[in-house]
Amino acid sequence: MAKRILVTALLAAGALTGLTGLAHADFDYGKFPGYTLKVKLIGGTQYEHLYTRIPEWEKLTGAKVDIVSSKNYFDLDKEIKQDIASGQITYCLASNHTSFAPQYGDMYIDMKPLIPADELAKYVPGTLAASEIDGKLVQLPRVTDISNIYYRKSLYADKANQAAYKAKFGKDLAPPETYDDLKNQIIFFAKPPNLYGTAFAGKDEGATGRFMEILRANGGDMFDKNWKPTFNSPEGVAALQWFKDIYDAKAVPAGTVNYGWDEIGQAMAAGQLAVDLDWPGFAGFYSDPTKSKIADDLGFAEAPVGTSGHHGGWSGSHSFSVTSACDNKPAAVSLAVFLTNDDSEMMEAQAGNMPTRSAVFDKVVKWFKANKKPALAAMYPIWEKSLDEARTPPLIPQWIEVSNVVWPQLQAAIVGQTDPKTALDKAAADATQIMQDAGLLKQ
Amino acid sequence: MNFLRSPRAIPYLLLLPAILVILAVILLPLLVSLWSSLTPYVLTRPASLYQFVGFRNYERLWGNSDFWWAFLRTLVFVTVALNLEMVLGLGLAMLVNQITWGQRTIRTIMMFPMMFSPILVGFLFKYLLNDSIGFVNNALYSLGLITDPVPWLVDGTLANLSIIAAEVWMSTSVFAILLLAGLMAIPAEPLEAARVDGCNGWQVFRHVTLPFLMPFIYIAMTIRSLDVARAYDMIRIMTNGGPAGRTEMLWTLIARVGYQNSQMGSANAMGYVSILLSIIFTFYFYRKLADARAFMGGAQ
Repeated sequence: MAKRILVTALLAAGALTGLTGLAHADFDYGKFPGYTLKVKLIGGTQYEHLYTRIPEWEKLTGAKVDIVSSKNYFDLDKEIKQDIASGQITYCLASNHTSFAPQYGDMYIDMKPLIPADELAKYVPGTLAASEIDGKLVQLPRVTDISNIYYRKSLYADKANQAAYKAKFGKDLAPPETYDDLKNQIIFFAKPPNLYGTAFAGKDEGATGRFMEILRANGGDMFDKNWKPTFNSPEGVAALQWFKDIYDAKAVPAGTVNYGWDEIGQAMAAGQLAVDLDWPGFAGFYSDPTKSKIADDLGFAEAPVGTSGHHGGWSGSHSFSVTSACDNKPAAVSLAVFLTNDDSEMMEAQAGNMPTRSAVFDKVVKWFKANKKPALAAMYPIWEKSLDEARTPPLIPQWIEVSNVVWPQLQAAIVGQTDPKTALDKAAADATQIMQDAGLLKQ
Repeated sequence: MNFLRSPRAIPYLLLLPAILVILAVILLPLLVSLWSSLTPYVLTRPASLYQFVGFRNYERLWGNSDFWWAFLRTLVFVTVALNLEMVLGLGLAMLVNQITWGQRTIRTIMMFPMMFSPILVGFLFKYLLNDSIGFVNNALYSLGLITDPVPWLVDGTLANLSIIAAEVWMSTSVFAILLLAGLMAIPAEPLEAARVDGCNGWQVFRHVTLPFLMPFIYIAMTIRSLDVARAYDMIRIMTNGGPAGRTEMLWTLIARVGYQNSQMGSANAMGYVSILLSIIFTFYFYRKLADARAFMGGAQ
């Protein structure tokens, strides 16, 4: 795998030289002749594109990069945990994610002392702040995720739909501003089995995250300040009821409780969904006429607000971290900065990902306009605005474990096996035990 | 010391390397995992491996209804899947055994599902059975057999049946191949003698073929009962134990607790309790195997 990436990297290096130039003028990437930097990177088509820049960094610094492992996040997470357990951390840099990072304890260093403040100021402030754990910058964000609304323009422009919606709800048919609007529209548009209102991630952290997003938009949260689980509050019950209502109305595919992101993306691109609250990474896919039936019909809107008047803003970043066990931390930090500098971020943004450097947003919108990709040019300002209220899941090592007691209960309530309050009480009791065992919550 | 130099020691000395290897690769990990089940071992906090908490993990398991439901579901899953695979595999083997031309090709084709990784089988069935874009629902809808999509992987009964179907599809041929080997090893004389004595087809099968095949069946059952564990990857992809734990098996639960939650101590305790299941199946099949062999010995 590593070899394949390096070969691709070497082939692509020539094509990329045009992109570089300005960015390495202001950060000193250093010289490390003869040094080999071992790295573990997330694999997969959408991530490996960036690694074609590695030969450029090698040329710049005289170091070599050895990719010792390249896997998807869940396998990489498993592998890193095994490395910690066996004390075999023999690499310097690893891909990370804000949701996973808290689990790894002191495996990664605080990069703040090794990067000048004016370089850090180039990152989107909220995204950089969310990359810290206990005040330590344990990761440099590479790509940010925050979800907003994709919708089918033709459904909203249809005169008959507009009249029927106005008659039923007394409001003009427009992209939803609140979760109540969104629910009404999901049910209104659904004509199963050919068209569903939407589909949602129904399992794993995807389900917990979506629930958390609506819970926060309603003014609630997963924990109070003493880490006592509070998601079984009235705001939590209302959030869960929201999912149950659209499920009971058969406005979503029945199988959505087993869906992950892939299935939702496929269904939206196949023209089976009216709206989709989803990640920016899908914009490129949805707007590509060779892969998507809705390429000419794609609208974008900011995610709705909840009863508190705020957005839920569930957000997270893919990132790079430097290990404490690294024997050449400046070299590792140098690569981490290089892979997230303006040129690298421009490359990520051109592929449809959300960059983590402020300067890139305007540049990429111009680039999309110049390259006849109006859909993506329209999308970026909306997604950038939504970053104002971005919030990560609780940055604690127990987050995934808590999520694993929450989502099966969400499913139980959604499919009608139990009522929302009972389901959330059960999950809260289990989560309380986890937090007590972890010593975060006093008994 | 004298014993080591005596001729009696030679067999033991010759076996010593094998014994050492077995101890290193089997006994040692077993002991470490047994020890870790008595600790609150968290993967990301290696120090927790040395904190003894007695039987706390086991006590918690005792009151953990999710675990016992998964235990029961796994028991039912293994029983149903094994029996179905056995019956279908036997039928398939009998049919293939009748073929006189192209049998080798058929045997090779029969092995195709075995060559798929369980993860691929999981994805295959997940997309076939997807309620909105899946092939099965689309076919049923186009034929006018359904008006509403069937939630194959959501409904408790249907989801478990779907997983069993995927498992049976993937592994029936293992039975078929093993039983075909058994059928080919049956001597012709007893079969001819039975026919000469006036037995009909069913009687020949029931009183001659089947007793000959029983040792093969039990060996296949024993191997497969341990091997059905491979269905983990498949279930992980198809439903990940959901929705609402309706398809949760021991393996999906243990993997989630051990790797995603990093609670390896707790996961190992679950592993040790689940070993009971494997022991019960293995013990039962070996006893049956011994009986079947004794019967064959008598019959001959």
